[in-house]
Amino acid sequence: MNAVNTWNSTQHFWLIILGFCVAFVPRFIPLMLFTKRAIPEWFNEWMKFVPVSLFTALVVKDVFIDSASYQIIFNHFSEMIAAVIVVIIAYRTRSMAISVIVGLIAVFLLSMFIA
Amino acid sequence: MNKRRPNPKQVPDPNEPLWRSTLRVAMPLNLSYIPIGLACGILLHAAGFNTLLTGLVSILIFSGGAQFLIATMLTINSPLLSIVLMLFFLELRYALLSSSLSPYLKGQSNRFLFAFAISLNDENYAINYLKFATDKKWTGKEALMVEHYSLLFWAVSNIIGSLIGSALKIDLGVVNFALTALFLYMIVMQIKNRLTIVICLISGVLAALCMMLTKSTLGLVISTIIASLIGFFLETTLRKRLPDSHWLWKLRSPGSKKSTVESESDAD
Repeated sequence: MNAVNTWNSTQHFWLIILGFCVAFVPRFIPLMLFTKRAIPEWFNEWMKFVPVSLFTALVVKDVFIDSASYQIIFNHFSEMIAAVIVVIIAYRTRSMAISVIVGLIAVFLLSMFIA
Repeated sequence: MNKRRPNPKQVPDPNEPLWRSTLRVAMPLNLSYIPIGLACGILLHAAGFNTLLTGLVSILIFSGGAQFLIATMLTINSPLLSIVLMLFFLELRYALLSSSLSPYLKGQSNRFLFAFAISLNDENYAINYLKFATDKKWTGKEALMVEHYSLLFWAVSNIIGSLIGSALKIDLGVVNFALTALFLYMIVMQIKNRLTIVICLISGVLAALCMMLTKSTLGLVISTIIASLIGFFLETTLRKRLPDSHWLWKLRSPGSKKSTVESESDAD
């Protein structure tokens, strides 16, 4: 990386404090509310689909969306192939560590040959 | 969680101390945090964070996605407000995750909930949700211990990454893929029936569309809400109209079949 950030440590510190606030509030408020009063059944049934929807969205963002222009791109070939490999490995081994490490090795090797 | 080494004892030892049995549950996650934490520490170092602040951010924010985002946005010199706003939208998903855990944490004190919320993140959520759903003996206390183990491994890996960061030159794209691979793994673990795969596809398309329209990660939040609602309505309708529909058939993976031979609480 060539770009060097010019912020000083005080600015980094305030970024962390503000980041902590926006990270903490969404984790705490629902726990506070829903452990005290009953959650309707439909809410639970809905929540079941949240993780899988969110994780797919995040993967699509990483692989198919350009982080600067937010346009769809189809040129991350090494990431696409590595993603398929990760899915197969995860399905067969059900091990998080193996999946991540194989994925990293795959994308590293593929990016040397492609693009 | 599937253990890679074969378990010589089929029945878990009832006298095993709590810190060890929870550590055993948390260990696969802890180990996978090491490479990702190192990568994150290296990235934060490259973005100008000193080691102390890297430790602080990994304890206070404790989210791989958020920390990778901070590092990436700092290197392109984004203003403070826009970084915090992006973080807010990225972290908004925890509202959904913590709501889905709340049925299992009824009756806990506010102090406990405070501690639990601070160290909650995607990966330990996945583990705890699975344990709460499959293991009747899993309580908030065990869940909090799993969170603290993962927090410890995450923070230490980040600090070490920050320390070795100056000595290494790394390819951003390759390291970032650690996060993508993690999400892919968690998707595969979430797939229960054919309907889930359909929801994945819908969510993927929606995510791309919403992000193009909003030009921000706010699109992620919108598409997540829409896709999960579609999943909810499809499943309720299918269960009502076609209870035998093959879309609701359970899927099994080779790994999960093997692990059912082991103790029930460790299965899949």
